[in-house]
Amino acid sequence: MLRYIAQRLVQAAVIVAIVAVITFALIHIAPGDPFSPVMDNPNVSEAVRQTLRAQYGLDRPLPEQFVKYVNALAHGELGWSFSHERSVREVLGTALPNTLLLMVVALIGSFALGILVALVQVGRRGSATDHLLSGVSLLFISMPDFWLALLTLLAFAYWLPLFPVGGVYDPVSHEYMGFGARLVDRLWHLALPALTLIALASASVARYQRAALLDVLPADYIRTARLKGLTEREILRRHALRNALLPIITMIGLSFPALLTGTFFVEKIFAWQGMGYAVVNAIGTRDYPLVMGGVIIGSIMVTLGSLLADLLYALADPRLRR
Amino acid sequence: MAAMKYAGLLCAVMLCGCVGSDSSAGKTAGGTLVISIGGDPDVLIPSLVQSVAAGEMTDMIYDRLADIGDSLNILNDKGFTPRLADHWTWSADSLSIAFHINQNAKWHDGVPVRSNDVRFTIASTKDSTLGSPAASVITNIDSVSTPDSATAVYWFHARSPQQFYDAVYQLPIMPEHVWKSIPPASWRASEAAKNPIGSGQYRFVRWIPRTVVELEADSANYRGAPKIRRLVWTIATDFNTAVSRFLSGEADFFEQLRLENMPEVAKHPTLRARQFHSLQYQFLQFNLRDPANHAKPHPIFGNRELRRALTMATDRAAIVRSVYDSLAQPALGPTVRAYPTTDPNLPQIPFDLPRARQILDSLGWRVAGSEGMRSRNGRPLEFTLSVPSTSKVRVQTAVLIQEQLRQAGVKVDVEQIEFPALMDKERKRAFDAAIGQWNTQPSPGAVLGSWGIGGSRAASGNNYGSYENPVFDANVDSALASFDPSKRKALFTKAYETIIQDAPAIWLAEPVQTVGYHSRLQIGTLRPDAWWIHIPEWWIPADKRIPRDNAPPSATPPAQPAGQKTP
Repeated sequence: MLRYIAQRLVQAAVIVAIVAVITFALIHIAPGDPFSPVMDNPNVSEAVRQTLRAQYGLDRPLPEQFVKYVNALAHGELGWSFSHERSVREVLGTALPNTLLLMVVALIGSFALGILVALVQVGRRGSATDHLLSGVSLLFISMPDFWLALLTLLAFAYWLPLFPVGGVYDPVSHEYMGFGARLVDRLWHLALPALTLIALASASVARYQRAALLDVLPADYIRTARLKGLTEREILRRHALRNALLPIITMIGLSFPALLTGTFFVEKIFAWQGMGYAVVNAIGTRDYPLVMGGVIIGSIMVTLGSLLADLLYALADPRLRR
Repeated sequence: MAAMKYAGLLCAVMLCGCVGSDSSAGKTAGGTLVISIGGDPDVLIPSLVQSVAAGEMTDMIYDRLADIGDSLNILNDKGFTPRLADHWTWSADSLSIAFHINQNAKWHDGVPVRSNDVRFTIASTKDSTLGSPAASVITNIDSVSTPDSATAVYWFHARSPQQFYDAVYQLPIMPEHVWKSIPPASWRASEAAKNPIGSGQYRFVRWIPRTVVELEADSANYRGAPKIRRLVWTIATDFNTAVSRFLSGEADFFEQLRLENMPEVAKHPTLRARQFHSLQYQFLQFNLRDPANHAKPHPIFGNRELRRALTMATDRAAIVRSVYDSLAQPALGPTVRAYPTTDPNLPQIPFDLPRARQILDSLGWRVAGSEGMRSRNGRPLEFTLSVPSTSKVRVQTAVLIQEQLRQAGVKVDVEQIEFPALMDKERKRAFDAAIGQWNTQPSPGAVLGSWGIGGSRAASGNNYGSYENPVFDANVDSALASFDPSKRKALFTKAYETIIQDAPAIWLAEPVQTVGYHSRLQIGTLRPDAWWIHIPEWWIPADKRIPRDNAPPSATPPAQPAGQKTP
């Protein structure tokens, strides 16, 4: 098992290195640079922009910039963010916990909700409830993440102002609150972006889980359980669900990239100061080091997520441990 | 009728705002003003500021020697009011001005403001390693001398009608003791940039990038304490999120309401909107040089008559009505109505579709084929119109122009691209036509950089369309050199008439800026160049304050992490 983990970690390192090279090339090929005027100010001349480029070493040939970047990376430095005027490590160090919080809540919430919905559907298979829930799941699967985020924002922050419009906390009063009030403030701000992601991700989980449950229902051990006189609810919960969970564990790994991408756009809409918010804005402002840092951290998260899913799968299925 | 849809609302709310301003009930200091904005400040160093957001904040933190005043006069010192300088004296030959520094003025760290701060501000801005956008507009200032700690003497290369404006408007004064030891090339990334120390009526508290900027009243300020105790800018880079913060009551003020927001504002009894003239104008710029070979004229737009025909085929009034309703007026030229030098009756190329068709026919661009599109010698009359995808109004405008020119037999391909990519194309002159916008300053002189020969030929020039006409340049130069307001206006009018008739651009719209604010907020005049400049005089009546107005008076948020490395 340890050898397997080591192999996977080496693979992950190679993948991250390839992603870094490709991203470096793509972001620098994209037209424009960090010092395109931020507004239509006729005083900002090309000479000013040239001075700024020189200050950040962007006037150097691209291969030289690449070597410098790789050298810094080898020393654990992700560079300097032009738009934040802070080190990328510091910017992402602040943003990453926010993204992880959102992702973990969304992951747990979506799997819990998705499995619950699947259990209800299979328990009442063929009924109007089953059809209705299938339809709702399909609707959420078809819906673009940013669109649902905008709708949620309008519905629950504006038309029905139950939640704040955006941010990780109340920027006006948070710093002056006590610990308890701060915690509540954070959770209050977490609600809408988390609910959006849960709604999107749980729809896929529900459909997969429903199919997996239906697959195991004709099995002999289910028939035996039924003959033993167990109720349908007990059969589903005790016997069918446990055996139908394996494909869902695979889904955890697979859903990681999708969840991360979804998080990026949801963060942008809800001004949730996570990795996505930082990186999406960095793309717009051509903040090369921040984009690179975000992509590298993102690819590490995805490869580690995939590894974690494989390990969980092995833990859940004893046959795979050999 | 549609154009007037919101005019009534705006008139009504303008009246409400004025009535509120006159009341003095509960006019005690206190309260928090929360402003929702759509982007971070780029930097909080006055000499490096480019973005509007950064301008709002630095104008609160720092002070100028004198303020231009609401009349925005730029001739001599008429209308200017004392700030850091409590008075000033002109030399007999007008080649120097001696500013006397107010002896009560102090930096927020307690150090007195002295004349060496003024000298340092000008000298550092001129330092080419700093990369200050202001450097290009203070070239007439030769140097600043400091005969004593209270006197700063500006020395000019030449006498000019706007030398006083150049001396005081472009640059708030910065503290030498804070910045002197930092190399100018490292200013942006320095710790001092993250904790700015100024002498303005508000002092810096915190800046969390992409989240919040907070200032607090400087109660010991030499100009007196401002009425509102706390200023908070909440930042959301998505426009919808930023405007929702205002509409939902999370913010008190939003600076850029769009047409689609007006019905929502009208629905809320506690929200107000107010219009004021801005210094912006929008245009469709033709590239007069061949994008593939800049030495040659553009195969289509190199011809003046053709450009005039395209202008005639464009119904600018209809476009403004459709896109802005009553929130803009058709642009007059490369100028704005707020300038005293602008004649609002500047003659325009009229909308005349039949005449436009005749001109195109006469130029050999004939309708061929069933689609009604024109061509000449096998070359279709077709061009690409580039617009930034992030600007909804510019995209809408481009689509309307596409349809209007189609009726004249001209095919327009609308290209929506990211703003940095569009700027890249424009800088390289690698475009056919683009919809642009300039945010100008109180001086109309910037027109030379955007539309003059210097701006066209210099590699660093902003005249992306490469329009060149010595008559235009000469008239602007003469106007800028004239001390006589009426002569100045006449010369500018000649210059504008020249460029309008040459049609290097279709002058599209002059947006009227519309801000939204909560009715509890008592606001005053909104100045076209800087709506925020009177914030220290705004107030919130005591009986209208809400919980966020009463945050602990002495509470200071935790200090930001120190010891950050520079690049």
